[in-house]
Amino acid sequence: MARPPGLLYAVDETPPPLTLVIAALQQVAVMSNSLIYPIILAREAGLSSSDLLNFASVSMLALGVGTILLCARSRYTGCSYLCPAGFTQIYLGPSLLALERGGLALVFGMTVIAGLLQVAIAPSLRRMRTLLPPEIAGLVIAVVGLSIAVIGVRYSLGITGKRDIQPVYLAITGVSLVTMIILNIWTKGYTRMFCVLIGMAAGYAASWVIGILDLSAAVPSEGIDLLRLPGFRFVQLTFDPNLIAPFVIVALAGTLHLMGNVSTAQRINDDDWVRPNFSSLIGGLRGHGIAAVFCGLVGSIGVNSYTSCIGVSTATGITSRNVAYAIGIIFALLSLVPAAAIVVATIPAPVVGAALFFTAAFVFTSGLQMITARMLDSRKTIVIGLSFGAAVMADVYQDVFATVPTVLQPILGNALVLGTSCGVLLNLITRIGVRQRASVRFEPDHIDREAVEQFLAEQGAHWAARRDIINRAIFGAVQLLELLGDSPGGVELEASFDEFNLDLRIRYTGLPLVFPDHRPSARDILESVEGERLLAGHLLRRSADRIGCRASGERAEVHLHYDH
Amino acid sequence: MNNSALSIEQSHSGVVCIVALKGRVDSASAGEVMVRLSDLISAGEKAILVDLGGLLYLTSAAFRVLLVATDEAERSAARLALCNVIGQVRELFEMGGLLDAFTIHGSREEAVGRLS
Repeated sequence: MARPPGLLYAVDETPPPLTLVIAALQQVAVMSNSLIYPIILAREAGLSSSDLLNFASVSMLALGVGTILLCARSRYTGCSYLCPAGFTQIYLGPSLLALERGGLALVFGMTVIAGLLQVAIAPSLRRMRTLLPPEIAGLVIAVVGLSIAVIGVRYSLGITGKRDIQPVYLAITGVSLVTMIILNIWTKGYTRMFCVLIGMAAGYAASWVIGILDLSAAVPSEGIDLLRLPGFRFVQLTFDPNLIAPFVIVALAGTLHLMGNVSTAQRINDDDWVRPNFSSLIGGLRGHGIAAVFCGLVGSIGVNSYTSCIGVSTATGITSRNVAYAIGIIFALLSLVPAAAIVVATIPAPVVGAALFFTAAFVFTSGLQMITARMLDSRKTIVIGLSFGAAVMADVYQDVFATVPTVLQPILGNALVLGTSCGVLLNLITRIGVRQRASVRFEPDHIDREAVEQFLAEQGAHWAARRDIINRAIFGAVQLLELLGDSPGGVELEASFDEFNLDLRIRYTGLPLVFPDHRPSARDILESVEGERLLAGHLLRRSADRIGCRASGERAEVHLHYDH
Repeated sequence: MNNSALSIEQSHSGVVCIVALKGRVDSASAGEVMVRLSDLISAGEKAILVDLGGLLYLTSAAFRVLLVATDEAERSAARLALCNVIGQVRELFEMGGLLDAFTIHGSREEAVGRLS
């Protein structure tokens, strides 16, 4: 593990108290943008001003608790990295669908289902990684970006069922969006870091000048208290079997999104990062699921990991896990302050639209980057291209899909659900026949290590395997041949590869080898050749992700497995 | 990892004799390293620095050679240190739990400064 040069506070370090609080407030400011999503849902639900404020307060509490559950370092929950929670488009689309079919009770019930599903699949995450490769995660994020842009445009133009484009809305969106773009491209430091917030503030001001901002409308007739506990009075849970499919996709899409974010959080803490730490991902997914269950039970839409916060960590070099705990406490306190909820609840629609449209650009391009990070062969091109086309189709032909059988509507009528379903299914189907094999045989007394290196290096290049994995495999093969010595029947080396696994099978005549768990001391190695053999076995066990040996008659086979 | 046959370059920086290893050290080439280090110790060199920066990897046989040479140097009142233990080579030292068994410096310059 190597410390990156720009890292100020690593995940296990604690900044001084003042720095810790400011860093947490900065993240809170960025995360507050995501409260747009529950507010959209609450507006669509037609909640009274009092219930809307309460909904905003509960959502803040969900952000705080969700962040702690996602980031904690515990054997039960959390990825142990700074990877805060946020509301995203992933839950919004299916939640709006649930709202339409069964009101808020159905939204909360199905959110609990999605959370429980994530808790259930967390232990199997490592085995599922072939189903959820990075390019599918990138597809999900790109489709999320596309969907955010669609909603953003609707809010920016003031389009509702009854009204067409409203020029006033367009003007306010213009002020807000142009402010964000100018600050992001042509300024540095805090103005760039808070360009979305400042742009929203400019939109607020424009709304006030034009006269569409009405703070008093959000204040209940009975007035507001300085402090009050968030109420859970409209929490009920109902379920609908027809919505299982879209919420399974929500769970899958949230999982892919989390894997991308936690992997980034790990990478910005370690310059030597080459592959995700799955223990951390599993803990993160469990925390993600528990957070969703919490959201459903207290009456909020589900939270996901929030990509913008990872961006802030990268930009500032502050990745301390303790920042997450501070964020949790700050949001819990804000949920007690009704005035904070009013600020969130009265965001004018064109300002919401500008923020969504602006952030969509970053989400969309980060998805594209993740898709193209690995070389796209024809298989991946077909999976990504067709799935993306399907996602766009769901938005373009919404009217047509409204006429398909009820059970299919939740899948065909939502871009994220249809795009993710297609991506996961096509990936699974096109993996048939993807594994490649090659072997080489060495006669007794002709075991040439140069030839072993050349064979694996050439196959690695042919298969586009990662160089570091091939180097580990070369060490494993050479060390094993050294341990075997001259095998009377010669040695056969077989290598097989798919994009997630590299396996070496070395077959020889002789007794099966034993690979010790314990490592010999320096003294053991120095004093005897047996100590050196123990070290060889130990290095082989440690350098491969899995190792095994089995015998059949006079022949034996050593299997070295490397995760790719 | 092509062209990974071992090459050994020897030079001096003040009183420090630097032995730079490049390529791979396994059981076939470990003997060559042992002979070179033993010769230097026998010749009376008191500060020997083995630079592993050009090494692709080393097997258990090479680890044993380095341990034997370090022991031999100590018995001859000489100092043997390693530098540029990086990348996959460092991972192998960590896996074998052998980082503490040697005197290891970061860069060649730092090592020469310490050994001079």
